[in-house]
Amino acid sequence: MFDKRARRKLSNGLFVGFCTFAAVLAIAALAAILISLLINGAAGFNLDVFTKDTPAPGSTGGLRNAIVGSLMLCLLAMIIAVVVGILAGTWLAEYAGRNRWTQAYGAVIRFVNDVLLSAPSILVGLFIYYLLVKNTIGHFSGWAGAIALALLAVPVVVRTTEDVMRLQSKQLRESGVALGASLWTTIQKVLWRAASGGIITGALLAFARISGETAPLLFTSLNNQFFSLDMGQSIANLPVVIFNFALSAYDDWRRLAWVGSLLIAGAVLFINILVRVLSKEPRRS
Amino acid sequence: MNAPVSTPEVYDCFTEEVPAADIKLETKNLEFFYGKGRALHGVNLQFKRNAVTALMGPSGCGKSTLLRALNRIYALYPGQRAEGSIMLDGADILDSGVDLAKLRSQVGMVFQQPTPFPMSIYDNVAFGVRLYEKMSKADLDGRVEQSLRRAALWDEVKDKLNASGQGLSGGQQQRLCVARGVAVQPEVLLLDEPASALDPISTAKLEETIVELAEDITIVIVTHNLQQAARISDNAAFMYLGRVIEFSDTEKLFNNPRSTRTADYITGRFG
Repeated sequence: MFDKRARRKLSNGLFVGFCTFAAVLAIAALAAILISLLINGAAGFNLDVFTKDTPAPGSTGGLRNAIVGSLMLCLLAMIIAVVVGILAGTWLAEYAGRNRWTQAYGAVIRFVNDVLLSAPSILVGLFIYYLLVKNTIGHFSGWAGAIALALLAVPVVVRTTEDVMRLQSKQLRESGVALGASLWTTIQKVLWRAASGGIITGALLAFARISGETAPLLFTSLNNQFFSLDMGQSIANLPVVIFNFALSAYDDWRRLAWVGSLLIAGAVLFINILVRVLSKEPRRS
Repeated sequence: MNAPVSTPEVYDCFTEEVPAADIKLETKNLEFFYGKGRALHGVNLQFKRNAVTALMGPSGCGKSTLLRALNRIYALYPGQRAEGSIMLDGADILDSGVDLAKLRSQVGMVFQQPTPFPMSIYDNVAFGVRLYEKMSKADLDGRVEQSLRRAALWDEVKDKLNASGQGLSGGQQQRLCVARGVAVQPEVLLLDEPASALDPISTAKLEETIVELAEDITIVIVTHNLQQAARISDNAAFMYLGRVIEFSDTEKLFNNPRSTRTADYITGRFG
């Protein structure tokens, strides 16, 4: 018969052991994915990846068109998302409280934004497909792809902007106004600057989120076997190329899919490190 | 905010009039509301030109509310409103047609916590000036230096004007905020417990600054620190439950309080 102390020790040991096991399991799975990604990706890594376009089966090629296409789509999406997101987030934080009507409107916007934040990306793709590809533009295009990605990025930027704007002290806001500046001038010149670390972090997280999205691009930008800078046409992009190549029967295509995956993982890792560095920047106490 | 059962003592007011010619700023029957709650009840106070007036009283007595009415900073928040009148050089600043930005450049404010803007020391001081005045770089440099000197900060920062204002110590940050307020050349400066976040040495420096500024600026200061009020103010008001209980010459208020409520407060028996 154990005494109370020993029993407590045992249950504590069991619990800690179980937690450790769960943590190891999760990390092991992650490590397995990353290691296989590194091994398989690095095997196909060479200069051709950046200088040649996606090949026909059996010929040599690279991912140049997909890399450039992905960058164009993501950058355009981020420009749209940052402008819309920062303005909307600022409105929610600073102006929505003005009166009953703006409060109600703000509450609706905030709710819809939260829904969008967790909406399946394939729905967003379908929405843009019906709105733009099928009924307005008439064919797949880079514009539609960028807008679909922007729709996924906007909620992230709106949410983080609103949160960091709310974190700024009331007295900082009043200090600007007390010097004779309008609230809008104070927001532009003081509050945005004070909140810039958080806003940039939000934008980078949004960028990380959309950089690997496949589903919305399948319905909008689709893919292009050739190098193209024309946003009015289909544009190649890494996620859709990976999707197509990974499911193919050709070894060289599958190898390129691994390389593409490694590129995206590397980009996301880089962005996350950047976020860490930026959010470590000393803040006012 | 429910007023307690009224006792004659609470509502007895002892206020001295400031000679009309010396009045810079004056409240007449000022009432203030946070939504439905009333925070000020018929406040009549006169602020003497180029002098320091201290507002004292226990927490929640309405002294900060009164201060925040004087530059209408409360207008940022829907639901807060003032009634009655506040005369600045004879014109009512509560009139609906008043240009709030202009009013706030005439009536500056320094807050309890130092609030340097996330920019250089120079840009902090130049911020308000750039909003309303077009001037050459040399003139602006001059204004920045003059303002920093008036806030007794120049010697400490003259070699690092391009450094961030947020890198200064708390006391220096607060004097930077004073310099920033002084730079727009206000006629009145409102100070809301400006020294409560500062150590004794910084506080002494700030008090010295305030007394010097009063040579040509009308100063209203809210303070919890009675010694501070006694040291730096010319006139003092004691407030309680949204009313002015006693207002007079500072010396008189401290040495010969006429209200027992005031006497209890300044001797530390309550509040």
